[in-house]
Amino acid sequence: MTQAKKVIASGLTEAEAIDRAKNGDAEAFEALYGLHKRRVYSLCLRMVSNTSEAEDLTQEAFLQLYRKISTFRGESAFSTWLHRLAVNVVLMHLRKKTLPEVSLDEMLEPQQEDAPKKDIGTPDNTLTGSIDRVNLERAIGDLPPGYRIIFVLHDIEGYEHNEIAEMMGCSIGNSKSQLHKARMKLREHLKFSRAEKSAGR
Amino acid sequence: MTNLTRTAYMAALLVVGANLAAAGATRQSRLNLGPGAVLTVVTSGGSVSLHPGTEQQVIVNSTTHSDRVEADVHATPDGKRGEVVTHVLSQQGASADDLRVDYDIAVPPGISVTLSTATAPITVQGVSGDISISSDTGQITVRQISKSHLHVRGVTAPVTLTDVIGTHVDITSTGGAVQLTQVSGPTVEVRTASGRITYNGDFAGGGHYLLSTHDAPIDVFMPAFASVDLTARSSTGAVDPPELPLEKKEHTNVLPAPGRSFTGTSHSGSASVELHSYSGRIRIKKQP
Amino acid sequence: MNCEQFQEILPHIIDDGGQDGDAEARTHADACPACGDLVRDLRHIAEQAPLLLPMHDPSPRVWSNIQQSLISEGLIRGDRTPGLASTGSANTGPASVIALPQRPRAWTPLGSIMATAAVLLLGVLLFNYRPKPAAGLKASDPASADEQLIRQVSSKDPSVGKAYEESMKQVNSYIADAEKAVKNDGNDSVANEQLMDAYQQKAMLYEMATARSQE
Repeated sequence: MTQAKKVIASGLTEAEAIDRAKNGDAEAFEALYGLHKRRVYSLCLRMVSNTSEAEDLTQEAFLQLYRKISTFRGESAFSTWLHRLAVNVVLMHLRKKTLPEVSLDEMLEPQQEDAPKKDIGTPDNTLTGSIDRVNLERAIGDLPPGYRIIFVLHDIEGYEHNEIAEMMGCSIGNSKSQLHKARMKLREHLKFSRAEKSAGR
Repeated sequence: MTNLTRTAYMAALLVVGANLAAAGATRQSRLNLGPGAVLTVVTSGGSVSLHPGTEQQVIVNSTTHSDRVEADVHATPDGKRGEVVTHVLSQQGASADDLRVDYDIAVPPGISVTLSTATAPITVQGVSGDISISSDTGQITVRQISKSHLHVRGVTAPVTLTDVIGTHVDITSTGGAVQLTQVSGPTVEVRTASGRITYNGDFAGGGHYLLSTHDAPIDVFMPAFASVDLTARSSTGAVDPPELPLEKKEHTNVLPAPGRSFTGTSHSGSASVELHSYSGRIRIKKQP
Repeated sequence: MNCEQFQEILPHIIDDGGQDGDAEARTHADACPACGDLVRDLRHIAEQAPLLLPMHDPSPRVWSNIQQSLISEGLIRGDRTPGLASTGSANTGPASVIALPQRPRAWTPLGSIMATAAVLLLGVLLFNYRPKPAAGLKASDPASADEQLIRQVSSKDPSVGKAYEESMKQVNSYIADAEKAVKNDGNDSVANEQLMDAYQQKAMLYEMATARSQE
């Protein structure tokens, strides 16, 4: 459904709601919130893995949206614009949490014990067809923060490595490397869960 | 001991045990919150007591009186936020007593606290961080606070402040009476619609004081040495002649109305004091 | 190429779908069951991830906090403030309270005129406003919005509902009296300030009731 035609709960289309919100219409604000809250919150929650923090970040993202909505010109889809705003809010928050002396690359790099193990010469059953999404969500939540952020941005939210590198202030190579490690870690986690299940634990 | 006696003894023990169980189950939780952190408390019935602690952690003792409620106490891993929330698990057939949770909370210095209740009385004493209180009808009592920010909102909640010094005070209680004793600070503002306002103190520190109601009386008791620049006005009510010697002044923004307004200064007029009641009675008396 | 070498370059080729220069890597993956499985698993994880739907809603306090910020920042103007409605459920009626100007500290003649204009505008909006009904709702006037608020609070606790009912009457009476005073003399700074106080007390009742109903 195109942006113009999406009809939201209050009978407004999204385009109408955006126009009205630019003029300070309260109902329009509420309508836009209702339409996008789930996606923004889910993004925040997946990135920080903490409900209180995710709620605060959701709140901040929407407040920034409402403050800046008059600058939205329609060059991209509204949801894309909001989404990028939400990602920036989360990244700013994560930067503030990191100690100033620690570089973002260092923050992204988990402790050695969290790094995935190399998987060499040990043929095993593949995961293909055996991942259920509940387990995948759980496994993502258990990832170390650095891996989780890159995984969420690339594989779930669809950002390219060059975009992630720009947002995170890291290199494209670093982004690719972290993503690979995140997937390896998920693979470990999901295989372990599957092994536990078949052992009847 | 005969069988009958033994049975009676066991029955008595059971009754005592049941009563003790009904009297409440207390659980202690500890939160690691750093300086500058915010603690939020949300509850409905019961009571909340907030006071300084001797340890670096926030210590929450929560007492429930039935299994229909639970106290949820948690903090964010970064130590910036803590929450104490009462969850009602099952409301059907529950009495008000069943849904009560009593909280006793000890906080280290530098923690800001936000308290929200419906009917639970709140007592805050001696803490040093900023305090924000919201209560529908539960009595609010604040004592011995200094150099802080205190923000209070109530529907009909009575509010009592005692020994609150050097603090920015902002109180709005639509229908609750507000009583201030030895309260001073850079700004002290109290607004009610029908809640009576009583101020007992010397307006120390040269700040700005505003006591405003719709139709309730305002009573001010102050010592002779208080240094104030005072304006009192009641649009359709009355302003009694002050019992203290205040030198009358002509203020350009106060319309002279006999018996309904007064402006005057005592000593150097350090503190600016405004008393407004739309239709209530305003009295300025000497402290006994 | 051995497995270790293959896994060294894997991060840089796995998403590219294989390039001419990676023929060696492809050959190894085809020949080595472990590395072949690894590539298949990682690609499967990458394929499943975008299918994870957003499935969490934030708690109602998020919207409540946003509302309060919008009001205090003056970003909301016009028809109505988001009132008791929680998004995604049936709206229960508008709050007929609108963003309020900040209380000025010192009254200058210009300040009095501007404040008078602001409160008169607020008064007109408050008492003449007829909100547009949202889908599925009846049109309501400010009095019935107050009743809805009281009903909502009373459904949780009748004694608290009574307190809101009493306070609402008092605040409405305050607004009426203060409006009269401002009408009599628009330059009366105290009257202007009391009118703003009255409106802000009404806004406070709505905020507190909204928060209570969402707990």
